[in-house]
Amino acid sequence: MEKLLTLWYGSGLYNLGLGQAVMVLVGLGLLYLAIAKKFEPLLLVPIGFGGILANIPEAGLALSAAEQAAHLARPEVLERMAAALQLGLDPAAGAEAWRHALETTLHGDTSPELVRAANDAAMDAGYAHGMLYQFYSVAIASGIAPLVIFMGVGAMTDFGPLLANPRTLFLGAAAQFGIFATLFGAVGLSALGWLDFSLNQAAAIGIIGGADGPTSIYVASILAPELLGAIAVASYSYMALVPLIQPPIMKALTSRREREIAMTQLRPVSKLEKIVFPVSLLVLVVLFLPDAAPLLGMFCFGNLLRECGVVERLSDTAQNALINIVTIFLGLSVGSKLMADRFLAVETLGILALGMVAFAIGTACGILMAKLMNAVSRMPINPLIGSAGVSAVPMAARVSNKVGLESNPHNFLLMHAMGPNVAGVIGSAVAAGVMIKYLG
Amino acid sequence: MQDMQLLEEGLALMALGMGFVFVFLTVLVIVTTLMSKTLGRFFPEPAAPPRGRGPAPGRGDDDVMAAISAAVHRYRRRHRR
Repeated sequence: MEKLLTLWYGSGLYNLGLGQAVMVLVGLGLLYLAIAKKFEPLLLVPIGFGGILANIPEAGLALSAAEQAAHLARPEVLERMAAALQLGLDPAAGAEAWRHALETTLHGDTSPELVRAANDAAMDAGYAHGMLYQFYSVAIASGIAPLVIFMGVGAMTDFGPLLANPRTLFLGAAAQFGIFATLFGAVGLSALGWLDFSLNQAAAIGIIGGADGPTSIYVASILAPELLGAIAVASYSYMALVPLIQPPIMKALTSRREREIAMTQLRPVSKLEKIVFPVSLLVLVVLFLPDAAPLLGMFCFGNLLRECGVVERLSDTAQNALINIVTIFLGLSVGSKLMADRFLAVETLGILALGMVAFAIGTACGILMAKLMNAVSRMPINPLIGSAGVSAVPMAARVSNKVGLESNPHNFLLMHAMGPNVAGVIGSAVAAGVMIKYLG
Repeated sequence: MQDMQLLEEGLALMALGMGFVFVFLTVLVIVTTLMSKTLGRFFPEPAAPPRGRGPAPGRGDDDVMAAISAAVHRYRRRHRR
């Protein structure tokens, strides 16, 4: 009978908390969106599954060694960890109170050295980091996974349309206003006392408006790792929702005549220009904003691999095998941040709402900028391509094309919209660099 | 008081960030345009002639042209009657 009880106490059913149950449902919801609705399946499948894994009771896959030990270890180990954390334990309170005190200290603002010491104490006692925790520290905490993905994106990007019409870079710049407006919105909500975001957290939330998954994850991992799960989920789900979010805004801000504007054919771009462009972009980054160097450096490197034409194999690996491998680990690591005690908070709802606002403002600013440019320039510019400035390559460009075709079935805007689209990637990386410089 | 400071910092970051993004991309526009012009001037595209005119014109084309015009001529004559 006692053996049976032990088995029962060790089962998931016995230990499942309400929060964990809700998070497992959230994970299943993400899987449903990815599989049945095809919402960014490449990322939401790993994220959703990682979220379920992270919330398996007792398994502690997303916990560090110290957190696991605080939950499971014998009292002597707890005492050793408390000594490492310089935490006084009340001998009369008993082991359960000790566990609670240790967990609060580990989650709180304890200095990294002490946490490391506690981890060492736990590892000496035979506890190990959970699998997802390891993935997270290798892939995201180190900053590597988003950067490798950025290299792959660079290797997949064709700068031809941008080089043929460099002024579309302004559209990519204007659409970044969504990022900064949302940052200000998040700060405003905190000032009103509705939510509680620090400036760093507000910046990490704003970058959702960049509509660029790897950039959001990179910035969040540096400025606000505690919000990373919510930010990554928001940014990837909104990227999937681009075809729903953008068209109403685009139609509200443009007249039918403007949507029908046909653009002149793009000039052909020579191979040499395409090779020189990533190098000159890199030189500008070096000169003006070294803080954007990790992101834009990898982006330019990937693009040079593609365009130089002598390292076909490397380019192929960067845009296929490597980016796929890294995506798997990135997704699972993001999933590990979907733990109940950190994800189920009012802040998450705030982040989801602010992210949507960021997207909408970015789209609107891109379109308004395109209207302005159309008014002052000799060459006609269809305002619809402005919305592609929010990056989200290539979905946003396809949306511009589709809305354009609805007004004028002979008007193909896709290539014209790819210019602002890749400009948006550069713009959001620059914005990320500014934020990291200012706050990091 | 602290809220005001937070707001001010947010506003400052917004102005600075947006300004910098615009300045950077403006410089990039200028550099890209200059780069394209310079390259176009000093390294005119060697690939242009074959791409521009399609298959090179030659004797074969003349023959085809002759055949087509003959056919058109005959067709018109026959239908005019």
